[in-house]
This record gives sequence, structure tokens and C-alpha cells, in this order.
Amino acid sequence: MRKLLLSLFLFFPLFASDLTLEIVKDVGNRPKIAIEDGSSGIDPKLSAKFFKLLVGDLEVTAHFDVNDTRNMAQFEEPLSITRYRLADYLLRYQLFYDDFGKLNVRARCFDLRSQEPILDKIYRISQKERYPFLAHKIIYDLNKALRFEDVSFLKSFVIFSKYTKPKHADIYISDYTLTYQKRVVSGGLNLFPKWANEEQTAFYYTAMEDRPTLYRVDIYKGTRSKITSSEGMLVCSDVSQDGSKLLLTMAPDAQPDIYIYDLLTKKARRVTRYGGIDVNGNFVENESKVVFVSDRLGYPTIFAKRIGSRAVERVVYHGRNNNSCSAHGDYVVYSSRETDNAFGKNVFNLYLTSTTSDYIRRLTANGVNIFPRFSKDGETILFIKEIGRQTGLGVIRLKYNKTYIYPLYTGKIQSIDW
Amino acid sequence: MKKSLLLSLFVAAIIMSGCSKKSVELEAPGTQEGAQQVSEVNEGEGIRAVGGMEEGMSEEEKLRRMKAIEAEAKKIYFDFDKYNIRPDQEPRVDYDARLFNREDAKEFKIKVEGNCDEWGTDEYNYALGLKRAKSVKEALAARGVDPNRMSIISYGESNPVCTEHTKECWAKNRRVEFELMP
Repeated sequence: MRKLLLSLFLFFPLFASDLTLEIVKDVGNRPKIAIEDGSSGIDPKLSAKFFKLLVGDLEVTAHFDVNDTRNMAQFEEPLSITRYRLADYLLRYQLFYDDFGKLNVRARCFDLRSQEPILDKIYRISQKERYPFLAHKIIYDLNKALRFEDVSFLKSFVIFSKYTKPKHADIYISDYTLTYQKRVVSGGLNLFPKWANEEQTAFYYTAMEDRPTLYRVDIYKGTRSKITSSEGMLVCSDVSQDGSKLLLTMAPDAQPDIYIYDLLTKKARRVTRYGGIDVNGNFVENESKVVFVSDRLGYPTIFAKRIGSRAVERVVYHGRNNNSCSAHGDYVVYSSRETDNAFGKNVFNLYLTSTTSDYIRRLTANGVNIFPRFSKDGETILFIKEIGRQTGLGVIRLKYNKTYIYPLYTGKIQSIDW
Repeated sequence: MKKSLLLSLFVAAIIMSGCSKKSVELEAPGTQEGAQQVSEVNEGEGIRAVGGMEEGMSEEEKLRRMKAIEAEAKKIYFDFDKYNIRPDQEPRVDYDARLFNREDAKEFKIKVEGNCDEWGTDEYNYALGLKRAKSVKEALAARGVDPNRMSIISYGESNPVCTEHTKECWAKNRRVEFELMP
């Protein structure tokens, strides 16, 4: 338990080596917040988990200096100013079940200086299992009420594929902490889930049938439609802003290359032509270019190509093995293997670069850091971290130079999207 | 002309319907049903085909033979991050080519499956597995195995034969193996 608490909010200071990224707030300037739990008649385990989620959410916004002591109180009792002398805000909440058996949470946040409530709301959820979304919504609303920078990523769904046994992987939808998980595709090898739109109402994934086949699933209608199939491999690595085009890695002649697939005409247009490996295409610069991973130099690293042109440019001049990337706007985050050890442990770090400048910034310092994915606004990166036998979910708040690691107990993740 | 044709058709229809009604009435009582003799028709029964291995062998037998050949095939191992066939693996490829070209194996299709160790990330690892499968397919084709019999697929790191975190284990997972199909 102590171990879990220790690792839960462990954060790594990052390297502010480049000042082109503005550091908005310093730790000392963040308002201090304390939390009071006024729940009664609730399963103590659920209550404790809920408290941890609130603390985690407040931490990860990077807008608060959180006191992680779980203070117990009656929800309606008067404020004790002396008890929280050092705090600026107090978040008091009460979990309870209503007459219909639905889980509710009453949340009230006070400005301790004025003693005025900033937030006073009741939240309800129909299925108890989805309680993490209650916590995320409270902190999202509190952040908004205080007019801090947007933290919509708290409410985002994460979709990921997880290996269950050899040649088998299922797809799950979860909250951003992976606490709530719902299996949406099972049976066989189901890989590379990718959200189809910003609203997160549909996703694409590859089913390894006789030929790898790309499907689109509408999560609220529960419908599945076939998009295309290809021999060898097929992956949807990016979706255009308007959702009409997909960047696919296909291998019709057993040759992995990047294609743009138009969902209206149902035609694929080849973007890269190279006899080695070209994978992991991502749109950049208003979808005029594609960045991708290629082994053109004899080892994998990041390249870019203007769509329709023949020239290929190298994006990253550092590292010996950069085999995965994700992009937002002009920014590219990539995973780089720092060691070249076939027989021992390897270190994979994440780096941030841009296609329009020489800017490069290291985002992690140790362990195996993989699957980096930008949030919708590009200001937060989600990734998976492995140190020894432990796996964690990492959240990097780029503007604040902060990384938060949550322990993960989900098994081996194949691919993830946010 | 047209009118008389219609008229005659109408009359014919009445006569015909009258006839059918009459025959139903004749058969309706059915009192003699039990007394009717049933004749067995034996002509054509018991005819057997001769020759033709294919038809003689049951599906189960064929499947057993296919699995036996599959088990005989040798896995091809690769270096870390590489998809070219190592010199020490060439004899194994020779062996597999001879095996797949054997008379009793020729009817089967071959799925060439590329696999990787855990050291790689998502898409690149699947591509690496695919390139390994492609290298082996081409090497087998160069040794006379019909390319039309072979299809390739990559399982990336999803199909490990060994799950320990040791160098021996990772080396075992960087492989191409075969699945035969009818």
C-alpha cells in the first residue's frame, strides 16, 4: 500500500533545456489545496480510491500544490480555517447512493480566504464502475471555475489494445488513468486502435484475420464496418482533422509503406516508396506533410515527406534507434533507444522536436518509455513507462515541465491512443 | 381473332379445373393406402470410386499429415533488429525448402509468420516481423518453393515462444515459423 502511494505521485523534474517552451507556473506559485472526505456508508475501498483519483487529477493539472492528507469531516460542518491555515482552497466532497441506487458525489470547494464557495455541485453516475469519471469531472469543473488553463484531457477516453495470450489481444476503452476499463473488442488478435474523430465516438482497429483487416467501430451504436484489408500488415496510424483521410501502413506486396486512404473514394494513394521499412505515418504542418519512421539509414529514425513530392527529409539527427513517433501540429514526439544492447536492458527515452525548427527536448530520463501520444490540444503527452518489472502510465505536462507516473496493472499493452 | 382466342382459353380453363377437381374426389377416400406395395429401388447403391488419393484420404488424415510436416519444419532465427538471413540459418532454410517441396507436402499452402522479441515498439516491430517473413519467403522461392503457395504475416511481439526476460529467450522469439494450410 505504501509502495503504491509512493509510486502513485512520483514525479520527475524534466530538463528545461530550451526556453522556446514557456514555463507558465513555478511550483512555489501554485495555490495550495486541501481535501476533506465527508462520505459515509460507502465501501471504504471505493472511498479511498476516489480520494486518490482526486489527488492525482489535481496534481496532473499542474495548477495546484496538493496536500494529499485524507482529512475526514462532516459534509455540512462549518469550515475550520485554523485546520487549513496554509491552504488557499479546500475541496470537500461526499460520496453517497441516491434512492435509485446510483452513485452520487456532492462536491464543494471553498476559497479559504474569502470562505466563499467556488464550486458547489452534485454529480451522479449510473454505473458505479465508472466512478473515475466523477472525480475527473469535478477537477475539470474546479479548474474551469478558477479560470485556469483548460484540462479537457482529464475527461478524455483512452483506447488501448492489451495482449491476453499468444496471438490474442483485446481492445479496451478507459479513462485517462486506466482505472476504469471496458472491453470493447475481444477474440483473436485485435491491434492498433485509433480514435476516428475528436469526439471519440468511433475508432479504427486492425483484426489479424486471414489478411489483416481494418475496421471502424461506432462505440455508441455498437456497429462495426470493414474499411479495407492488406496482406502482411495494416495499421491506421493517423486520422486527418476532418476524419476523411487515414494514414495507413500497408504491405500489399509484403513491403511496408505509408498510404493515404480516402474514406469517400475508398482509394489508397501511396506516399512512401522504399524497399525497407516505412511505418508510423503522422500528419504534420496542416496535413501537407507526413512524418514517419524509416530504416533508410540502416536503423530506424524519423523522416518527413511532403505529400505528392519525391524528396524525403530527415527530421531527427540524434539517436541510434528512434522507432516510434506521434505528431501534433508541427511537433513530433518520438521514442529513442539510448542503448544498443541485444542481450540486456535497454533505455528508451522520449524526445520532443519540431519539423519547423531544430528544437529538441528530452522528456524522460530513465526506463523504457514508449507509446507517446499527444492530447487533443497538444500540451500533454500520455505514454507507457517500464522500469524493471513495473509498468506505469505517464502524463507529461509540457508547459509545466512535469511528469506524473501512475502504476499500471493491466498486462502488456500493445498500442494506445488518446 | 384475339377475342376467340381468349374465349377458347377460358373454356379450356373451366374444363381443366373441372378435371382436377374430379381426380381429387377420386383419390380422397384413401381407404386402400395400407394395402399399397412399396418397391425398394436398389439400382445405383453401393457404387465406389477407385484410385485418386485425394478422395480416398479423409480430411482428418490430411490434417494430421499437414501438422506432421509443419512440426518437421525448422524455425529461422534472426539477429537483434535485423531481417536478413544469417549465414548459420541458411542450412535450415535449405531443409525447409526440401521439406515443402516433398511430394506429400506440395498440396499445402504455407503461411510464413514473422515474429519479434519484446524490444521494439508497436508498428515498427510488426514491420520488422513482416520483413523477416518476406526474407524467408524469398529464400524459399529461390530454392524452388512455388511463391504462389506462400503467404506472409507478421505477429510482431504478440506470439512469443518464451516469456522470460533473458537473452536466450529474446533470441528464441526473433524468428520466422510456418503454418501449413489445406
